[in-house]
Amino acid sequence: MIRYILKRLAMLIPVLLGVSIISFALLRLVPGDPAVLLAGEDANPDFIEAVRKEYGFDQPLHVQYLRFMGNVLQGDFGISIRSREPVVNLLKQRFIFTLKLSLCAILIASLIGLIAGIISATRQYSIFDNLSMIGALFGISMPIFWLGLLLMLIFGVYLRWLPVGGSGELRHLVLPALAMGAASAAVIARMTRASMLEVIRQDFIRTARANGLRERVVIYKHALKNAMIPVITVFGLEFGYMLGGAVLTETVFSLPGIGRLMVEGIFQRDYAVVQGAMILVATTFVVVNLLTDIAYAFFDPKIRYE
Amino acid sequence: MKRCLFVTALMVALLALFPLQAVAQTVIYAAGADPDTLDPANAESNPSEAVNRMIYENLVRFDAQLNLVPGLAERWEQAADGMTWTFFLRQGIKFHDGTPFNAQAVKYFLDRMIGPEKPSRAGLYAPLVESAEVVDDYTVKFHMKAPFAFLLNNIAHSASGIVSPTAHEKMGKDIGRSPVGTGPFKFVNWVHGDQINLTRNDDYWGGKPKLEKIVFKTVREDSARVMMLQSGDAHLAVRIPSEDLPRLEKDPLIKLDSTETLRVLYVGFNNAKKPFDDPRVRQAFNLATDRESIVKHIYQDLALVASNIVAPRTTGYFPMPAIAHDPTKAKQLLAEAGFPNGLKAKFISPQGRYPKDFEMAQALQQQWQQAGIEVTLDTMEWAAYLAATRKPVEEADVELYLLGWAPSSAEARWVLFPNFTTSQWVPQGNNRLFYSNPTFDEHVEKLTRAADIAERDHNLKLAQEIIYQDVPLLPILITKETIGYSSKLKGVINSPLELTYFDHHTELLK
Repeated sequence: MIRYILKRLAMLIPVLLGVSIISFALLRLVPGDPAVLLAGEDANPDFIEAVRKEYGFDQPLHVQYLRFMGNVLQGDFGISIRSREPVVNLLKQRFIFTLKLSLCAILIASLIGLIAGIISATRQYSIFDNLSMIGALFGISMPIFWLGLLLMLIFGVYLRWLPVGGSGELRHLVLPALAMGAASAAVIARMTRASMLEVIRQDFIRTARANGLRERVVIYKHALKNAMIPVITVFGLEFGYMLGGAVLTETVFSLPGIGRLMVEGIFQRDYAVVQGAMILVATTFVVVNLLTDIAYAFFDPKIRYE
Repeated sequence: MKRCLFVTALMVALLALFPLQAVAQTVIYAAGADPDTLDPANAESNPSEAVNRMIYENLVRFDAQLNLVPGLAERWEQAADGMTWTFFLRQGIKFHDGTPFNAQAVKYFLDRMIGPEKPSRAGLYAPLVESAEVVDDYTVKFHMKAPFAFLLNNIAHSASGIVSPTAHEKMGKDIGRSPVGTGPFKFVNWVHGDQINLTRNDDYWGGKPKLEKIVFKTVREDSARVMMLQSGDAHLAVRIPSEDLPRLEKDPLIKLDSTETLRVLYVGFNNAKKPFDDPRVRQAFNLATDRESIVKHIYQDLALVASNIVAPRTTGYFPMPAIAHDPTKAKQLLAEAGFPNGLKAKFISPQGRYPKDFEMAQALQQQWQQAGIEVTLDTMEWAAYLAATRKPVEEADVELYLLGWAPSSAEARWVLFPNFTTSQWVPQGNNRLFYSNPTFDEHVEKLTRAADIAERDHNLKLAQEIIYQDVPLLPILITKETIGYSSKLKGVINSPLELTYFDHHTELLK
């Protein structure tokens, strides 16, 4: 198991190398000059020259890349051209926020998703099943910014129960987590239902029932555990995407997460910020996937990583 | 039981992640974008300037009508030959870090502007001022390289906020992350991409500010800003979209304020490229443009028709006759210029940089069609757009483009000089039009060096008339900035410079 984990972590190296090259190259292929942007419409040529020099944009590309990678290996991701803040600090602040938001969102998503999925599966074609599957369809189809605005309008402006913008307190996260979790809840519900339906029809469930076990034990202990593998896959993917930053949710609710940092970095050609964020997001995605694979072994002892 | 414990532990852990904040007498300001820096000399965006106006002060400042009034200087004198300016400073003022404000601080400020650090706004002083001289503790002299008619406007510019010399010595360029000025509000902290916190300066020389705390929040999404205002999560929101106005007007708890700005949105020509080097072609575009209809139907009258690239509230503005909408005459001019069957051209516009910019570009495309002008319309993201319109003349393939200009020093020279004079062609300056007219250049030179106002204004008028007749660009409209704020908030300053800020008189009623 340990060897497997180490092997998987070693695979991070080529992944990150690839990500760093691609993000570096893409950013420089896009037209637009960070120094000109910083100088604004009534730009001053002396200033533009000085900025290019200070950040090394006057160097050849391969020199810039090697210098960047050399610094990264020492834990230095450079300085944001916009805010002059070290990128490491920005990433830390923003990632912690995104982590909080994603945790809340995935909590909401899995609670709603699992409960709806299990009930729908055990009472297939009942009114509850139909209603929750219609709800899931809405959850998947609804654009997240529209749902976000709707939630803000209802709970913030009309009912005034929750704040519509801001961050820092738990209540600020309720609406964004709901908006963000809705789509994931829908996916998890559908996956749970499908997987449960398959497991419930298997022989060992019939045997368990024939042995006189209570229905509750049959469903929650025997069926659910075996039905979890595909659900965990979905769970891991959804959580990975969430940690990659939810640009739309963060923009609509004006939250300082990693997604907005990245998008604003792109618009401002803040190279160091975008490169740093890409590397961070790629790392998280790989780690979340690894954790998902480890979770398989916990739910299904047949799976062994040797 | 075990499960119960687990759930409780989870809840406690979640709550621990989010400490409850004490509620103070705080005003929340919802801005449209994150400031870039709080160093006045390097600030290039409106959110930065708005915050800087609350932290820093200038020797001379603009009042709400953009008149020049005393700030940190009580009074000033200009020598008869225009070569020296003497400023008499207010006494007993301290920076937020305790450093005394005096003539040395002003000299430090000027030395920085003209010195080797070269901040982005160095252009306000470096070409004009030779040196600063400390006469005594509270008197300072600026020695000019040549007379300059608008020096006071540059001194009132937000870039000329006086920074604490001790703080700048200590932090250098990083002063932009922990600013120290003399203004009514002090900097507390900055969570990048989220908010800036200010607290009042109890020792402010103008009297104790009435507001205790200001939270300057970045809320990018227009509709989110409006909803925060409606729900009471923000006391003030800038850049209210015109669609939301009718709804907000009905809300008794919200006050709206639309201010006519100094910004003119225009369509620029590449005057160096055929056929736009022919004034008849440019005039044809001018006559084919129906400005009234754009202002009325696209902007719902939240803009004003422009005929001059200088906006009316700018110092040194001279009114020009309205430009008629006459597609027939436009066709005729095109025929004279050798295009009896109409003309094809490329037109680019940003999307979302200015209010309704792309909608306006689409309307123009349709209007020009009636005069036989077919343009293809493309949009680009802002960084690419700036790059495309900043190429030197031999590489420039842009034909028509939409942009806006507002003189941040509130005077007409800062429209005429950077955009139209021959020495300012991009990439050296900002003349993206590749316009060149020696007579015009001469008038700009004369008005810049004018020793008296009459001579200055005479040349300003002639220069504006030349642009009106030559049509190197099509001025379309003057924008208005609409802010909304809680009716409990009194004394909000909504400047025509597109800056909204508070001073020590601003108050929040219970």
